[in-house]
Amino acid sequence: MAEILLSEAEKAFIHHGVQDDLRCDGRTRLDYRPIILETGLVSNASGSARLRLANSDILVGVKVELASPSPDKPQEGRLEFFVDCSANATPEFEGRGGEDLANEICRFLQRSYASGDTINLAELSILSGQQCWVLYVDILILECGGNLYDATFMAVKSALYATQIPSIKVATMDGDQPELELSDDPYDTKRLNTENLPCVVTLMKIGNHYLVDPTPEEECCSSSGIVVAVSGNKKITAVRKIGSGSLHPDSLVSMLKTGSDVGAKVNKTLMIKLLEEKNLEKSQKVGFMR
Amino acid sequence: MPVDSRRLQGPENSFSYKLLEKKNDNEEEAALSADLQKILIGTNKVRKDKRIPSDARPLCNVTITGIVSQAKGSAYIEQGNTKLVCGVYGPREVQKKSDFSLNGQLFCEFKFAPFSCQKRRGHQQDNEELVLSGLLREALEAAVCLHQFPKAQVEVNVMVIENDGSPLAAALTCASLALASASIPMYDLVIGTSVRQLPKLLLLDPTKDEEWEPELNHDEDNSNLTIGFMPSTHQIAAYVHEGVSKTEDLEQMLKLATEYCLKVQPVVQLCLKEVVEKTLSNESENKVDE
Amino acid sequence: MSGNELLSDQGLRIDGRKPNELRRIRCSLGIFSQADGSAYLEQGNTKVLAAVYGPHEIRGSKSKALHDKAFINCQFSTATFSMGERKRRPRGDRKSTEMSTHLEETFSAAIRTELYPRSQIDIFVEVLQADGGNYTACVNAAMMALVDAGVPLKDTVVSCTASLVKDVPLVDVNHVEQSGGSPELVVSILPNSGEIVYMSLTQRFHIDHLSKVLDTAIKGCKDIGAILNEIMKGHLTKLDTSLQAS
Repeated sequence: MAEILLSEAEKAFIHHGVQDDLRCDGRTRLDYRPIILETGLVSNASGSARLRLANSDILVGVKVELASPSPDKPQEGRLEFFVDCSANATPEFEGRGGEDLANEICRFLQRSYASGDTINLAELSILSGQQCWVLYVDILILECGGNLYDATFMAVKSALYATQIPSIKVATMDGDQPELELSDDPYDTKRLNTENLPCVVTLMKIGNHYLVDPTPEEECCSSSGIVVAVSGNKKITAVRKIGSGSLHPDSLVSMLKTGSDVGAKVNKTLMIKLLEEKNLEKSQKVGFMR
Repeated sequence: MPVDSRRLQGPENSFSYKLLEKKNDNEEEAALSADLQKILIGTNKVRKDKRIPSDARPLCNVTITGIVSQAKGSAYIEQGNTKLVCGVYGPREVQKKSDFSLNGQLFCEFKFAPFSCQKRRGHQQDNEELVLSGLLREALEAAVCLHQFPKAQVEVNVMVIENDGSPLAAALTCASLALASASIPMYDLVIGTSVRQLPKLLLLDPTKDEEWEPELNHDEDNSNLTIGFMPSTHQIAAYVHEGVSKTEDLEQMLKLATEYCLKVQPVVQLCLKEVVEKTLSNESENKVDE
Repeated sequence: MSGNELLSDQGLRIDGRKPNELRRIRCSLGIFSQADGSAYLEQGNTKVLAAVYGPHEIRGSKSKALHDKAFINCQFSTATFSMGERKRRPRGDRKSTEMSTHLEETFSAAIRTELYPRSQIDIFVEVLQADGGNYTACVNAAMMALVDAGVPLKDTVVSCTASLVKDVPLVDVNHVEQSGGSPELVVSILPNSGEIVYMSLTQRFHIDHLSKVLDTAIKGCKDIGAILNEIMKGHLTKLDTSLQAS
């Protein structure tokens, strides 16, 4: 998010473009920019994905670890999110400079994944009250080119889709100490059901209209918008107003409606693409070498 | 996060003894069948604190002047058992010179007192508090006339003394009262409220027990909505929704919340009017004395 | 892990390399559009990203400004998922801070800082996947990013590691060899002048071996330098043709 300075004339130009449903890069208000997605890039992680939405670049690594479940939820595993804004994106993120933004995104991820409708945490339990899987979802923001929320959520969903959880068996109870047996075959793994994991749609309001997938310049022109997390079955799992402006209830409601429609479409397309990608051969991986 | 070693820390791992408490039979049965409705409201459609679903807890003990004597403006409100105090300082010079801005800046700090929740809170702001601070700032920025005090900043500190549900909603109301008492120019007051959604039922202003718990695995139509509404301008300054719901239901929830805010507006205005009258009469007395 | 496992009787290393064989190096330049210069570098399974911003005005406190040369600011961070065990923090721990300082020293020696008095050059490196030789990969990637940014250098900086197993010097050590308890010598050099700008050794070996191991590391540096030079040339020719085409 290198600092963007726009003159009044440039702002007016963007405004008029949005009004006429033709944005600076030729898109209509409800179009996304091209997306590049690849999974399985980091071999040290149990699942990983890299997503590039125009200039926004996100790398997600999922690590699967064993832990004891929290005392109030003995029969469930956990998802732990951690967002790191790399200084690669902008010098302002150096040291602890990116923490505010990281926190915001992290919290929204937690909240939208919290409902039992999106992910079945009971699937991650191994031995009730004693052992469970913890999925550490670590998000690395490498470049900010606008619309970070959408890009992050898509990348997280893809990384979780690619995550392989090893099969584990609970062997004889020796006194109170159960023994865990890890399968010898490294390919003996299972995948999570990721069908319902939420995708996010950011809608920014510019003038009397709203648009999806804003560029940094458009974000700069708008004072308010909403981020809507939509699960695979078209339910809304979290909403937040962003920006320092305010919205009329009517426009908010219509934004919510558009958001949930677009979100469902994004989700569907993403699932199709992920399946296609899974069936590709490993030698075709490109990574950062273009 | 580095811990503050100068303060006495509790043991790293501890959990509330209340988790071991046996629930009474009725509740256990209901919990097993995951029927929240039964837990929260009895068959006679009355909540535990004898409210009907569409009833909010009364705002009481609203104190506006002198609650924090050093602050320029302050306010204390109680909404049921949710009690919080807010102090406003400024406008004063921006401390960090690098953050030059032609508009005024708001600095918000949202803090739960360590003893305010069931689980003990640390002295340092945790991630949740940081995010709530951000939400509070974004909402108030929409209401405060920032252009009136360029190159200066206003500090808003909210401390929750007791949290019994809807802390952000109460904080919004409290902070806008404190801002008004500090004579910070505003377009409108921000009035906050929360709505809890259950299948086919909406509860206005939920208590802690009624609030949507993020980790509970209940499926459909379960969510929490907090809004900050500016009644005179009819604008939404804050909107946070968490949990699973359909778009149509969100519309309903929003309607219920805005209606409540419109109802509360005269009450809040009355409180402010009293303060202004008191200050004016004090001033005139002082003049007579001279 | 004993020396036998690290170096077989046939003289092959645990990943099948010969003692004087480097891991595969791949590198691409200019992968980010917002940074002034950026590079991605793979050295075997070690994968590193580097971005360069500047030279620009000093950010933050002006007291950091040097009146006669540019201030080099480096940050070394490791992705939390980059290693076998999950890391809790990407940076801010002692090791990362130490790495950042070493990077700063290395590049202050290589960049023609005297050309930019009172300004700052930022170098940010991010380890995406760690498999030994993180520091060397970071130096090499940062150097490529500096080239991409067009920052004037006295000379390219290249870095390489070497180790000693069963009295045989090994070049470009991987994670297994590094954590197996064998010594690791890290060297960064300016290949044209042959000057050493950074050197560090973990563990110990007899001083008689030092020249042998050092020579291996320097040879490794020069080889890496040649490979990176080729990549650099390829990138610049591509840039040139695309400029001419437009």
